[in-house]
Amino acid sequence: MTGADRWSDETLLQPAWRGVVRMLTHYLPVLIFLFIALLVGVVPLLLGAALGPSKPDSEKLSPYECGFEAFEDARMKFDVRYYLVAILFILFDLEIAFLFPWAVVFDQIGLVGFVAMLIFLGILVIGFIYEWKKGALEWE
Amino acid sequence: MLNITSILFYAFSIVLLGAATMVVIARNPVYATLYLVLAFFSAAAIFLLLGAEFLGLILILVYVGAVMVLFLFVVMMLDINLARLKEGFLSYLPLGLAIAALGVLELAMVYWTAPMGHIPAPAPFPGNYDNTRALGYVLYTQYLYPFEIAAAILLVAIIAAIALTLRRRSGTKSQRTEEQLRVQAKDRVHLVDLRANKH
Repeated sequence: MTGADRWSDETLLQPAWRGVVRMLTHYLPVLIFLFIALLVGVVPLLLGAALGPSKPDSEKLSPYECGFEAFEDARMKFDVRYYLVAILFILFDLEIAFLFPWAVVFDQIGLVGFVAMLIFLGILVIGFIYEWKKGALEWE
Repeated sequence: MLNITSILFYAFSIVLLGAATMVVIARNPVYATLYLVLAFFSAAAIFLLLGAEFLGLILILVYVGAVMVLFLFVVMMLDINLARLKEGFLSYLPLGLAIAALGVLELAMVYWTAPMGHIPAPAPFPGNYDNTRALGYVLYTQYLYPFEIAAAILLVAIIAAIALTLRRRSGTKSQRTEEQLRVQAKDRVHLVDLRANKH
């Protein structure tokens, strides 16, 4: 027996799994979208490789940089400020992750849950004011 | 008889394993990071197939949307020398293989010590079970205090990130509007009383 037996037809017909199956059917458009996106990405590449003439020479394959000779490697150090912007984005992205389940159960958790989220957001607003005043959002 | 969820499960698992392998063996670190994005996507799809809807979507939102951007920036910032990166590959290989074998052994032990090698299906949910709703309900009632601690941790992370990476660069030419508006005529024009020399 393997783990995949969990998905045998008899199991799926049990009432316990019906909710999951119904949830998965809502994702059918996403799956179709995934397949179409894959085709749009792969088919032009394959068609180009199959139909286009290919006569490479050293000049064609050399790196091209707006007409002049490439004078340095493309791999170079980036400014650390990109990193700062990315990490601040992650933190507020995580905050949004907390907001989704809160919004879904908003009618059940009552005033306590509402105030708890206000405190949560308040603490993060302190951080937001700090980064604003500190000039972390500015690009000199 | 394979049904459609099994087929999808195996398809996403194959993509996940392939992408994870490419993360390790890809020569270009940027390609490795992009393969990691693909691995996260496949893992999110498998989470969805197992009914963990919220977890799957958060994986895409937080990891693919934000953490991978950070990884890409780090990879770009490190100025990695590809030749030097591959240097220690053979000397690290035995240790890496040993750790991988240990992981496989642990998984095999979990698998084979289960009754008759069969992993029981997760506990059945009630008919109208909703992942996000169930999580939200415990998080905002029973675990309120850890939830507020999470806010404090995020605040510490904001301050730490700014303290570590914010550098004022000297000598940059930028416009300061408030100083331009506040300027007076006497700051700009300096009248010097030059007396003609009389001998």
